[in-house]
Amino acid sequence: MSRRSLFFAGAAAMSCGVAQARIRPADMVPLVGAGFTPTDRDEIGLWKEMDRVEEEIASSNLLIRDREITGYLKDIIGTVGGPAAKDFRIYLARIPDFNAMMFPTGFAVVFSGLLLRMRNEAQLAGVIAHESGHFLRRHMIRSWRDQRRKTDIFSIGAMLAGIGGAGAGVYLGNYVQLAQLGTILTLFQYSRDMEAEADAMGAKLIAEAGYDPMEMSTIWQQLIGEEQASAHYRGKRRDRGYSLFATHPADEARMADLKADAVEVRVPGKTYDNRRDRYLATIGPIRPMLLDDQVKLNDPGASQYLIDTLAQDGWNGLLRFYEGEVWRLRNRHALGDDVRAAQSYAAAVVYPDAPADAWRWHGISLLKEGRTGEAKSALSHYLKMKPDAPDAAWVRQTIG
Amino acid sequence: MRPLRVKFGMRSAAALLALAGGLALGGCVQTRQYADLQFSPPQGAYKLLVLRPDVTVGSLTTGGMIEPRADWTEQARSSIVAALRAQQAARGGQVTVIEHRDELPGVSVQELADIERLNFAVDQAIVQHKYLGDYLPTKRGKGLDWTLGADAVRLGQKTGYDYALFLHAEDQVASGGRIALGVLGFAGCFIGFCAPTVGGSEQLDYASLVDLKTGEVVWFNVVDAASQVPGIRFGDLRTPEGAAQMVERLLGRMKPGAAVRAAQAKR
Repeated sequence: MSRRSLFFAGAAAMSCGVAQARIRPADMVPLVGAGFTPTDRDEIGLWKEMDRVEEEIASSNLLIRDREITGYLKDIIGTVGGPAAKDFRIYLARIPDFNAMMFPTGFAVVFSGLLLRMRNEAQLAGVIAHESGHFLRRHMIRSWRDQRRKTDIFSIGAMLAGIGGAGAGVYLGNYVQLAQLGTILTLFQYSRDMEAEADAMGAKLIAEAGYDPMEMSTIWQQLIGEEQASAHYRGKRRDRGYSLFATHPADEARMADLKADAVEVRVPGKTYDNRRDRYLATIGPIRPMLLDDQVKLNDPGASQYLIDTLAQDGWNGLLRFYEGEVWRLRNRHALGDDVRAAQSYAAAVVYPDAPADAWRWHGISLLKEGRTGEAKSALSHYLKMKPDAPDAAWVRQTIG
Repeated sequence: MRPLRVKFGMRSAAALLALAGGLALGGCVQTRQYADLQFSPPQGAYKLLVLRPDVTVGSLTTGGMIEPRADWTEQARSSIVAALRAQQAARGGQVTVIEHRDELPGVSVQELADIERLNFAVDQAIVQHKYLGDYLPTKRGKGLDWTLGADAVRLGQKTGYDYALFLHAEDQVASGGRIALGVLGFAGCFIGFCAPTVGGSEQLDYASLVDLKTGEVVWFNVVDAASQVPGIRFGDLRTPEGAAQMVERLLGRMKPGAAVRAAQAKR
């Protein structure tokens, strides 16, 4: 075996990791209809295993059970769920991270961090439609079968290479190892293809429902910005996700493909909407909780970026208060965090929707600056808003 | 499961493991049990609650992946439950098997879920510190020293059961392709490439017994029956005989705790 032949075998093994052409939304037809239940033996087995998983998730104490919000999510998946719209179940987990996932039997889990990041209903619908796409295109059973087929072929091939090599008196172990790497790489490529399919299907589904499909591309733009900001504050470089071992396409690639998808699925003359008002009205009641969970991650770069992004739709007392919290919690005086926090609290209390805690921290900041009179007035405003505050006795004693 | 995005992929882990050649497994049946020092196996008229036995049976594909099989799992579950009832009845135990969390009168779904999750976490700790080598100096010579605490005691008070049993059983059946691969590997021996031990099915069972009067995990056992050669197996959960064999291996030889045995030896 020459080194050259090994090189070419290696090149052949690697070539499967190269990015492929964009998947067109028009080609994404649903592969399941309403009320789908599996009939193939392997899929029945997969579904059976999911029963317990769903029982576990449905009773998890991480779930947010607010009927208003869960009903809203159900309503959206009922709109962008294609033929299976009425079959989906959707759960909201209180996890301050950007993610959502679909399980093989048609139940989805949305992380609360997603509701913080989405700026309108079209963006949220885009993510939910992406997840629906996984179910409608039968991705779980397809990738399972892909894995089974490739591991079968590899095992037989490796065995035959061993026996054939022994018979012919040559050692083929190096080729077997290359084939193993090649097989692994094609599994990851297949997974990335499934994600690209779900993105294309999602764009098609939300456009059909009258949402602006361009919002799906904007999601990734926002996420790239958030991760850059997060990495920058930590003095690191953002992981761009280009890897032969990635299960998902890189964020930049998804953003670009979704932009092209949006242009393709838009029908001239039809009006598209992002339904921002309905979105804000529905998630409004839990937004303080979402912001609170985010700032406590102590990731100031990401938190400030998120707040700035939300503030593109207008600053308010809540956003200014949590901006202050980001810097108060980082608490590096040498970098002026205390000053920055104090400025945000002062800005927050100007708005009528400033939470009581904004007045509290505004007062404490003023106390530290020695502006006692103003501090006392801010703190008494706090007490007026929250007479039963846990620290009410201390505040009363302070303001005398 | 398909998440929207991941930073590091876990999804293909099963396939990768299969590709990488799998784990080195001993081709035999191993069991190892631990008991609370003061434990004596239940007998006489006791009431045993079995919470959602976790049974899965799959097919081992040619490439070494496990394909879950709903029909086999169902067969195995009912065979195991029948074998368990028969075995416990022989000791005088009265057994109730709960299949869903809403089947226990007077106990809410949430309470039962909490108990199960707590038990799962405790079982993981037991496996970590008793079986996988992370031995704790503070637990040395103390037998099995874990408890589910007040929640388990409350469950006992509410329902009147003496013990709760948690049971996990997973089994595989080598597919035709996997067996053929083993045969091929064996045939290779004649020309100098000998690989009959590509890895066969593995049955892994474990159980933990919780005393609902004290909340303590009083007994824990693991059975591992693994085969290197596909087609050769050390049990089959799908059949009544195989299930009875598993229940006997797992629960049949329950030993008293060290303190109890020492006291018996003195007498």
